[in-house]
Amino acid sequence: MSVVARRPRVGRQAVAGWLFVAPFTVLLVFFLLLPMLYAAKLSLYRSTLVEGEVFAWLDNYRQALDDPEFRRGVLRVVVFGLVQTPVMIGIALVAALLVDEVTSRFSRLFRLAAFVPYAVPVVIGTLMWGFLYSPNTGPLSSVTDVDFLSSGTVLYSLGNIVTWQWAGYNMIVLYAALQGVPREVYESARIDGAGAVQTALRIKTPMISAAIVLVTIFTIIGTLQFFTEPLILQPLNPGAVTNSYTPNVYAYHQAFSYQQYNYSAAISFLLGAVVFVGSYIFLFATRRRSALR
Amino acid sequence: MSDTVTERSTVSEAVSERAATGRTGRTTGGRIASHAVMALMAAYFLLPFWWLLVASTKDNDGLFGSAPLWFSGDFKLFDNLSTLFSHDGGVYLRWLRNSALYSVVSGVGATALAALAGYAFAKLRFPGRNLLFAALLGLIMVPATALVLPTYLLMSEAGLTDTVWAVILPSLLNPFGVYLLRVYAHDSVPDEMLEAARIDGAGELRVFRSVALPAMRPALVTVLLFTMVATWNNFFLPLVMLSDNDLFPLTVGLRTWYQSATLGNAGPALFNVIVVGALVAIVPLIVAFLLLQRYWRGGLTIGALK
Amino acid sequence: MSARHLSVERRQRRPIRTMITAVLAATALVAAGCGGGDESEEPSGPVKIKVWAWYPAFQGVVDHFNRTHTDVQIEWENAGAGQDQYTKLQTALKAGKGAPDVAMLEFQELPTFQLTKHLVDMGKYGANDIKGDYVDWAWKQVSNGDSVYAIPVDAGPMAMLYREDIFKQHNLAVPKTWAEYKEVAQKLKAASPGSFITDFGANDGGFMTGLMWQAGARPFEYTAAQSPNVGVRLNNDPAKKVMAYWEDMVDGGLVDTVAYGTTDQYSGLGSGKYATYIAAGWGPGYLASVAKTTSGKWRAAPIPQWNAGEKAQGDWGGSSFAVTDQTKYPKQATQVAMEIFGADKDAWKIGIDEAFLFPTATPILEWDYFVTKEYEFFGGQKVNEVFVPAYNGIGEFQWSPFNSYYFNQLSTNLNQAIEKKTSWTAALDTAQQNITTYAAQQGFKVAS
Repeated sequence: MSVVARRPRVGRQAVAGWLFVAPFTVLLVFFLLLPMLYAAKLSLYRSTLVEGEVFAWLDNYRQALDDPEFRRGVLRVVVFGLVQTPVMIGIALVAALLVDEVTSRFSRLFRLAAFVPYAVPVVIGTLMWGFLYSPNTGPLSSVTDVDFLSSGTVLYSLGNIVTWQWAGYNMIVLYAALQGVPREVYESARIDGAGAVQTALRIKTPMISAAIVLVTIFTIIGTLQFFTEPLILQPLNPGAVTNSYTPNVYAYHQAFSYQQYNYSAAISFLLGAVVFVGSYIFLFATRRRSALR
Repeated sequence: MSDTVTERSTVSEAVSERAATGRTGRTTGGRIASHAVMALMAAYFLLPFWWLLVASTKDNDGLFGSAPLWFSGDFKLFDNLSTLFSHDGGVYLRWLRNSALYSVVSGVGATALAALAGYAFAKLRFPGRNLLFAALLGLIMVPATALVLPTYLLMSEAGLTDTVWAVILPSLLNPFGVYLLRVYAHDSVPDEMLEAARIDGAGELRVFRSVALPAMRPALVTVLLFTMVATWNNFFLPLVMLSDNDLFPLTVGLRTWYQSATLGNAGPALFNVIVVGALVAIVPLIVAFLLLQRYWRGGLTIGALK
Repeated sequence: MSARHLSVERRQRRPIRTMITAVLAATALVAAGCGGGDESEEPSGPVKIKVWAWYPAFQGVVDHFNRTHTDVQIEWENAGAGQDQYTKLQTALKAGKGAPDVAMLEFQELPTFQLTKHLVDMGKYGANDIKGDYVDWAWKQVSNGDSVYAIPVDAGPMAMLYREDIFKQHNLAVPKTWAEYKEVAQKLKAASPGSFITDFGANDGGFMTGLMWQAGARPFEYTAAQSPNVGVRLNNDPAKKVMAYWEDMVDGGLVDTVAYGTTDQYSGLGSGKYATYIAAGWGPGYLASVAKTTSGKWRAAPIPQWNAGEKAQGDWGGSSFAVTDQTKYPKQATQVAMEIFGADKDAWKIGIDEAFLFPTATPILEWDYFVTKEYEFFGGQKVNEVFVPAYNGIGEFQWSPFNSYYFNQLSTNLNQAIEKKTSWTAALDTAQQNITTYAAQQGFKVAS
């Protein structure tokens, strides 16, 4: 840790420091903090179509905790996160290790190919996969009879969209981390006679655990807030992707389809709490390896 | 972990150096297997693009009635393109321009603000610094959808909904960019040079401009690139904030067409136009990523290491 | 960004919003200083009326209006189709700012918007003058006594479109009742196992409601005058009869269950997989756009009946123009709502030929051009000779003041039924129960 301040500088730096962070802080206050406070206020009121708005304390929260649709949604994203995260990070890690190990023109092309989906807007990516999943006109229909949009399968289909979109991005992050590991570490392993696979598993992977923790935590935050993909796929099978499919979709529909702004705010807050707690549990459990200190 | 700090700026050199030493798979069998796995994965990542390319050469009948992964007899790409740019009075072109405007302005603005803040968090001592930074980290976790409605109501109170500012102002806020730039500035801006500049009598702003900014350049480009992509891809915020078709970015515009196509009473179903619109919408990003490879690859290390 | 935006009304009770407003306003000021402050001041010329609508080919209609009017001009915005626009309109109405003067609303949405008291009673501005241009059921969709909340534009009378070539090939007779329809479906299945008589899109609340409407079901009993009393009877006998019928058809493999509006449905319509298409008044033009290759092969026939010889009808949907309470010019806005389409033949020519709208105004319904228009796609058939009587035979119908919730419940539960998680009639029971609970939560007095 470097020591920056010398005593006489502190006053000047304090002013400069505040001036430097001021524009950002103003934005932070106006587009994050105040909307949050406003949402918090909203969540403590209750409005009905007939009677209008009345103060209701924690009624909305109580209702949400008892709401089977909300609970199913939370459970769904938690399960989704538990399955989706390791699968995607696994794919990203394997790809990163391969690209790190094999240097050929093809591996460079592969690196690009894997990253390109990240450049596609989520809306457009999901629309594309919607076409691909189509049981009559999609290419997958000629290979298999599985209906990718039925209520039993659509969660996997959504998982696939997320994986497709983000695996390459995570691969690049992990690959960049691998590139940062000093080469001598591998060299000594090689002298000890370790094979490529062993080196990858026993040496490289632990060396980049900080980066793995980082991409995992962002994936967790992302999956808990799962929103755009289900919303776009919804018209294709509204029976499978219901209005309460994920907590965020539920909050969206409560607010924008049913004008239940207060209840929606409460749901969002509860989801925020889940995300917050989930992320911190994970960070705490892995704090020795974490990059976010 | 702090003792394994690597010099970020040398990463790309390390890459080329290692490529030169040819540290490749050691056995031919391993090499073939590695390539096979990569080929399989590449096919997976690229398949939807191939479909999109093929599909954009078909009209609706071709889309619904021919093999999805191969060209049909009729080549309709140019017809589709001309419909795309003329439909609804050529509004697609406007959407394209809007997307570009939003992402450039938000990208540049957010990067500038994040650079100032990130540098200050890393190198300047001021009261409340740690508290503010902790708050920033905590706020990254708030679900975005939770804030869209209250933000909408507040913006509407200020008369800013349905203007470009409704999209641009919130996009200027990039806490993660601040975090990345703080980490980067912390390691790559040498304290001695800052001190030297100060002793020469330079003001803090000048120190920032002449010493910190040049040292942070690679990370700045990365943050710029990622903010631009994020704004280009933004959907929910403009969806809620804008009701004027002429202000839509591509994502919201295409969704509107898609929505119309799936509603029986909203006119002809223009799936072919939507498909070609999707193709045109992603081309600029792919080109940008190919051209700027050096930056995003190098830049991603910032978050990953440390 | 003009300075007008900076004035803040109703700031009491909202300290946070006021604070934010102040800063945002300051930002706006700065932004305006950076260029782009181009909003014009109070118009001195013609009154500008902002209209939200998502009709296809609407630009021509707007241009026509603006050409033929000097004191009122329309500024049209397409704020999204269907639910997208409603969402925006609701939020803008809640925010007290940003809503248009005139908005396109489907019939089923009117009570929802009326409940929040955001629709202007156009009866005060002369809307009742044109009451005579509309048949009784259509006018009742938009009014309550002398209060008029919207002006009807188009409707969705239902008919059966069928592939004449497929019917001939398999020697099938055009069914007149739902019982015959099932027999035809069975014969078709036997002759051509890969085909279906039709597709049932359980994602379309309007379609399903139309079918129940035809069978005499009246799920809601509600008028603005009787609020907060609402009757909910979604699971009564006629509704269950309809759903039991389609359950049987689906279970027998006679009917496909692909969602409406998807590429799958279109490919089925184009490939001959579906021999009929139960369509609304806009269906013919619409079908022509998604299944071009089948041009000339389709014909229209009246929708099958539950009892032979009857002429019961239902409505799939329809739309209207309403005036919001944010307008400064309710009189001119009413004029716009009444005259954009109204009974104007030039406007309707665009509506009929390019937008596939089925008109609600009697003068247009009786207009030769419309009634005798020959559709090439239907082998030269004058399909409106089928649709116009269907339209005139539609019975009265009331919608609930929470239609989004109703449509969602209907579609969610029936899709569950299609996936065999429950029976179709039980799906109606579940929907009934959920809607009753929801309505009570919202403060309605529910009778079922």
